[in-house]
Amino acid sequence: MAPVELENSSTVSGDASGVSSTGNLNPPPKKKRNLPGMPDPGAEVIALSPKTLMATNRFVCEICNKGFQRDQNLQLHRRGHNLPWKLRQRSAKDAVRKKVYVCPVSACVHHDPSRALGDLTGIKKHFCRKHGEKKYKCDKCSKKYAVHSDWKAHSKICGTKEYRCDCGTLFSRKDSFITHRAFCDVLAEESAKNQTNKLYPQPELKSPPAAAAPLTPPNVSAETEPVKIASPSVRSSSESPNPLEVIMEEAPRTIGFNVSSSVISDDDRSGNNNCTPRTIGFNVTSSGLSGDHTSNNNNNNGIYAGLFSSSTSSPSLYASSTPSTSLFAPPSSSMEPISLCLSTNPSLYVGPTTIQDPHPPPHFLTPLSLPPPQPAMSATALLQKAAQMGSTGSGGSLLRGLGIVSSTSSSMELSSHDLGLGLLPPCSSGGSGGSGLKELMMGNSCVFGPKQTTLDFLGLGRAVGNGSSNPVGGGLSALLTSIGGGGGMDVFGTAGEFPGKDIGRSL
Amino acid sequence: MTRTGIISPTRFPSFKSQRCSGGDASFMEQLLLHCATAIDSNDAALAHQLLWVLNNIAPPDADSSTQRLTSAFVRALLSRAASKIPALFSTVFGNSFFQPPPADEIHRFSVVDLAGFIDLTPWHRFGFIAANEAIITAVEGYSTVHIVDLSLTHCMQIPTLIDAMASKLNTPPLLKLTVVSSPSSFPPLINISYEELGSKLVNFATTRNIEMQFTIIPSTYSDGFSSLLQHLRIYSTSYNEALVVNCHMMLRYIPDETLTPLSLRNVFLNQLRSLNPTIVTLIEEDADLTSENLVARVRSAFNYFWIPFDTTDTFVSEQRRLYEAEVIWKIENVVAKEGVERVERTETKGRWLERMRDNEFGGVRVSEEAVSELKAMLGEHAVGWGMKKDDDDESLVLTWKGHSVVFATVWVPI
Repeated sequence: MAPVELENSSTVSGDASGVSSTGNLNPPPKKKRNLPGMPDPGAEVIALSPKTLMATNRFVCEICNKGFQRDQNLQLHRRGHNLPWKLRQRSAKDAVRKKVYVCPVSACVHHDPSRALGDLTGIKKHFCRKHGEKKYKCDKCSKKYAVHSDWKAHSKICGTKEYRCDCGTLFSRKDSFITHRAFCDVLAEESAKNQTNKLYPQPELKSPPAAAAPLTPPNVSAETEPVKIASPSVRSSSESPNPLEVIMEEAPRTIGFNVSSSVISDDDRSGNNNCTPRTIGFNVTSSGLSGDHTSNNNNNNGIYAGLFSSSTSSPSLYASSTPSTSLFAPPSSSMEPISLCLSTNPSLYVGPTTIQDPHPPPHFLTPLSLPPPQPAMSATALLQKAAQMGSTGSGGSLLRGLGIVSSTSSSMELSSHDLGLGLLPPCSSGGSGGSGLKELMMGNSCVFGPKQTTLDFLGLGRAVGNGSSNPVGGGLSALLTSIGGGGGMDVFGTAGEFPGKDIGRSL
Repeated sequence: MTRTGIISPTRFPSFKSQRCSGGDASFMEQLLLHCATAIDSNDAALAHQLLWVLNNIAPPDADSSTQRLTSAFVRALLSRAASKIPALFSTVFGNSFFQPPPADEIHRFSVVDLAGFIDLTPWHRFGFIAANEAIITAVEGYSTVHIVDLSLTHCMQIPTLIDAMASKLNTPPLLKLTVVSSPSSFPPLINISYEELGSKLVNFATTRNIEMQFTIIPSTYSDGFSSLLQHLRIYSTSYNEALVVNCHMMLRYIPDETLTPLSLRNVFLNQLRSLNPTIVTLIEEDADLTSENLVARVRSAFNYFWIPFDTTDTFVSEQRRLYEAEVIWKIENVVAKEGVERVERTETKGRWLERMRDNEFGGVRVSEEAVSELKAMLGEHAVGWGMKKDDDDESLVLTWKGHSVVFATVWVPI
């Protein structure tokens, strides 16, 4: 039976479209969105002064001088003037030419025409957000916003279904909140405050050096058990079985404070802290308030350091007068072994589901989507293929943008030592057993020079620069050359290709 | 990079890193595989050539996740080559001194930070939710619940389990939590001792009115947790006590047949079965990284670890750096290490299911409520996350863009 896909069909994308660095808002859906950093070269750049930008009525009717916020509204209004149809038409030039807007603030990244934003509303909001005053304040939290719509959007979600830890962190999911809260220091501090009031005087608790008292400063943890694995059986022979079992079996389990008999830990000192499993028996209600149990409790599960009292929220729980049955059933009652219900509990069974998979696995990553692998290619063949792809300028990826294999030698600067991991360019004289390499070299010279020497990938001089003139052997060396050279050109392709991350997201 | 003594990279002006299209992944994979082959056959010159090319087309801080993924592999291959092909050493680095990055540089999280970190994606939360649901259902009615938590995440599953016990069980039981001493060999690492960790958990349980005990057993994955099992054997269970063994991405560290002839994994499962646990949960990553053949292993690893790299595209840079650092560590372990040093021996879901069945465990389906909760959780993460349910084997699988990531299974003795 084929597995059924339950794809997350939410339209809210975790990878918000605002990731791009331009801060561009989503333009009206019909317009084609420019890639960040690559505005339409034919667009008209419009620079408005701050006053004009923020003016509410930029579009003015030439007939009656009425102002409008939007061009569409102005056009609607103009119809009402009953103009002859020829005059009503907008000029072809105006309608077609795309307008982009720059931010008036000169230090701003969007002041540069190449970083202009395509949407007037967008540039207005940007200007407000970045350079404007935050006039809108959320009344639930203290966040302030310069843009009215941002403020409204926040107010909608502020305080709804959010979990806040005492330390101030907010969570949208309950389980993240709970997990955080369990480990948050704020909780520990609260309990620390509570426990000092109620329990045994400190010296007793501290005398066992490895009491693992968690509230003592962390340097206690220097007493951690040794790394070596000890066999617990060493201790078990002389001791009675699990003290907890003893507790369980004994009749009335009075519930005292959640302190196991810390007095026993003194007895425990006799070398019991090493090499044994260490139990930190917090809030074990020891029936151990009675003296009998001390010897029983003092077993190989050695170190009891029940230091915690209840939190202030429920002090009554641990008073002996509370209905202890809420925590523990006395052993005599309701102790029938409960058969494991898994096999009979219908809720555990899930009927066959037929859920359509709305998102077939994408094929963006070719290794996974081509189960019959391409014929295994030798490394040389692979590199040659890449070179061919590069030189013909078709398909391919790595070297497409280079096109011109015989890049001018002047651009083939290649420092011999600063290549990422500090790899030196391979050189035939240094290589041993590299059978393919010698064939690939155009000349037999290998030049590792000082950094100013122009080198290509093979460590050769300029003689190899015109690799494309030798189509056969030059294929691979041309490839290698062009990888090394091509200053200023994109290795991976020309403009117009989508960045890799967009590809992966086209579900 | 500087910590290894490697010269810090100087950006070569011609390589604009953000234009790598999806098809390049295949190309990079081919180069990596050829490089692995060259290293395996001690072909220093070819390996050098390929490493050089790869290094230039895949900068470690590229915008494209494919390039960062490839860069991690280049690092790992380089590390391997430097140790396996001494001839490569001098040709590659000339006079510079190359040291593999020391293993103790794994970042140590504070527990609060780790709690946030593991929730960045559903990678762990998926298994937590599925397992907790099954556990709660299974322990209803028991007065003591003994949970053995073998988890990569240092008990991060436990707070929500405690909360569920407090709110969903009719009679909250005594909770005993047993863990094994903290391994420091693989990420993620925390910066406090397990004693402190345990005390925080017990403290938290108290606030939820759950009585709890926390025990640390000195035991290690490298011998299949034999001392843990021994402890569990001699430990007498109380009347009406449930034994829950929660295995969250930890069993993969137990040596398998590719490391030791005697399969410690099977031994572990066998001994576990003889304890007659109430329920066992097994959550693991669905990939095969155990092959003894380097090239096959590189291929499997590349076709799996692209996923975590892909999911981090929406993270802020610090989160991404930490997240990817963990994956980079794993890639290096899988590719560059051998023998006992290679601890990341992930097996596929199919293989684990086979082991469980061989050791007389039967699979149990997770409830509908769990499935709904999982779907709701996935809905709050990026769009690429999904899940699938395989009726044939009662497993739940977390998927990223349709590809299997993590599987979650629940078992009872049969």
